[in-house]
Amino acid sequence: MTVEVSQFRNLIEALDAAPAELPFLTVWVDEDEQKTVTFGEFRRQARVQAMALRNEGMRVGDRVVILMPQTLSAMTMFVATMMLGALPAFLAYPNFKIEPSKYRSGLEGVTANLKAKVVVIDAEFPDELLGHVSIGGETRLFRVSQDSGSASVPAIPEADILADSTAFIQHSAGTTGLQKGVALTHAAVLRQLGHLAAALGIDAAKRGPADCIYSWLPLYHDMGLIACFMLPMVCHLHVVMQSPLDWVMHPETMLQIITEHKCTLAWMPNFAFQFVPRRTSLSRGAKYHRAKYDLSSLRALINCSEPVRSQSMEEFQEAFSTIGLKDGVLHSSYAMAENVFAVTQSDCRRGRGPNRVWLDGKMLRNAHQIVPVAAGDEGAISFTSSGRLLPNNEVRILSEMGGILGSGQVGEILIRSDSLFTGYYNRPELTAEVIVDGWYHSGDLGFCLEDELYVVGRKKDLLIIGGENLYPHDIEEIVCSHPAIHDGRAVALGVYNADVGTEEIVVVAEVDHEELLANRDAIEREVRNLVVGGIGVAVKKILLKPPQWLVKSTAGKASRSGTHEKLARENPELRIEAVESERA
Amino acid sequence: MTVDEQQMIEHIQQLIRKPGLVLDENTALVSSGLVDSMALVDLLLKLEDVTHMRIPPGKVQPKDMNTVALMLATAQRVGKVRK
Repeated sequence: MTVEVSQFRNLIEALDAAPAELPFLTVWVDEDEQKTVTFGEFRRQARVQAMALRNEGMRVGDRVVILMPQTLSAMTMFVATMMLGALPAFLAYPNFKIEPSKYRSGLEGVTANLKAKVVVIDAEFPDELLGHVSIGGETRLFRVSQDSGSASVPAIPEADILADSTAFIQHSAGTTGLQKGVALTHAAVLRQLGHLAAALGIDAAKRGPADCIYSWLPLYHDMGLIACFMLPMVCHLHVVMQSPLDWVMHPETMLQIITEHKCTLAWMPNFAFQFVPRRTSLSRGAKYHRAKYDLSSLRALINCSEPVRSQSMEEFQEAFSTIGLKDGVLHSSYAMAENVFAVTQSDCRRGRGPNRVWLDGKMLRNAHQIVPVAAGDEGAISFTSSGRLLPNNEVRILSEMGGILGSGQVGEILIRSDSLFTGYYNRPELTAEVIVDGWYHSGDLGFCLEDELYVVGRKKDLLIIGGENLYPHDIEEIVCSHPAIHDGRAVALGVYNADVGTEEIVVVAEVDHEELLANRDAIEREVRNLVVGGIGVAVKKILLKPPQWLVKSTAGKASRSGTHEKLARENPELRIEAVESERA
Repeated sequence: MTVDEQQMIEHIQQLIRKPGLVLDENTALVSSGLVDSMALVDLLLKLEDVTHMRIPPGKVQPKDMNTVALMLATAQRVGKVRK
């Protein structure tokens, strides 16, 4: 079936157009527990919730914070809010592995900024955290049960939802700290979904079986909310979802779900392309996998939300080609909440993955210049493309001095599109800082080559050492290539030295086993030599730490800002200043 | 102390690497800072192994993991027998 996204005035109209009997959402808990609802049943449950919200006095334009576990009920509540013309926002639900103090301060900040009319929580929301939900005089707390019963569809007075009215607020990446609420209109979301569906060939797939999306992604993140909830809702696709916590505990379940439901599309951040192969039972041998799992249904697994690393894609491909993962299925995209979602997408129809280029590392560091070289050349470094621009999306590459750079030069990525946000909710000053003359300043560094965008890293993470531009990821990759260092567990930081007037590189890295620390001096020397040999710069200080020392994000990857803060605290002799926040 | 509690304590001692530190089933681990939040994923996996149960992580809060005794009580409360 083909769905023409542009025919809809708003997201609710798109949901209403779906055939009632079509499966929409499967919530997968484990092999014994999964529940599928059709579009018809989803609509019914959303209307029951909408009626309950209306009885709470909800009106057009009111904000609703949804603090619920990732369940059907949370998703129907989100849609119910939109049915009334009110603005829902998902926030992260507390869980056993969050840092309680960070979570509390994030919750206070975000709920205060939204000035919500209603904060929706589930029956099991921990009472001790309620004091940190900012509830002003106008805000009411609404506890919802998981069961919406079997009541028939209530007649709710229809709100007149204008295309240019705000549909919802999605928060920029990260689960804690001062997240920025991105307000998005129905029209912007629908335009984005139309472009995305076309780029992914969702319409073109109509000759074969319909697409089925797999997701473990949190709904408070743009990948989870837009690609894995709004896209299937508007394009009338089936989505199979498990909670991020279940995935992080048992990543092998991802293989099981894709196999069982013959999923065709999925999105993941770069770290997951390494995390999944390393945490699945490869030790039990390829035969075990071949008998149990089959990934041949996948037609696009898209690396998104972090700079794409070729090595991570290769690791995933190599691990799972034995269980049917086809060549050319791994793809890439550059996306952000501020643009609703994707700015670029690699071509899913050409039968091979995104382009990869090898560049002269020295020219990149010294002059921010892109000079392609052969793969084996000395000092060559590789980048994987994030693909081509979606229709009506434009990028500019801006120099440090504010000039527009041509193809082949690295600078800040600026974006203009027909799905760009109009501002951060209730934060006009912050909005004015990042949207200038209609262009969104992303804070990401990248370059364009042969009409494709390559993302290099975050501008604020760039290390400028003696006039040379260094990307921390490059240093970390070299450090992790040492056999004593735990892969993925190194962080390179720039520490300003006032005596010499420049930043110096400090590397913190975890060793594989604590016993290795007995050889600290030798390992430090070898790592230092590797970095000098690889990129020709000296590391001021290498700090080897025992396993599990680095601060990790909730997803388990090394957190640059968290590690920075811990180092400032535990190694005061380094005179490192604590940093404020981080984009995940 | 039960066998399950003893196994959990031995695992935690290896994890936090503080020689000489004596732990029992009622030692506060999370609220005291002995165990950080990311190590709790590892502890929950160990708890599944020790109890032979599948523990839905969405039903576990930091306070449920504060002591070994609470961990085992949580496994009994929310765990499902593993196939």
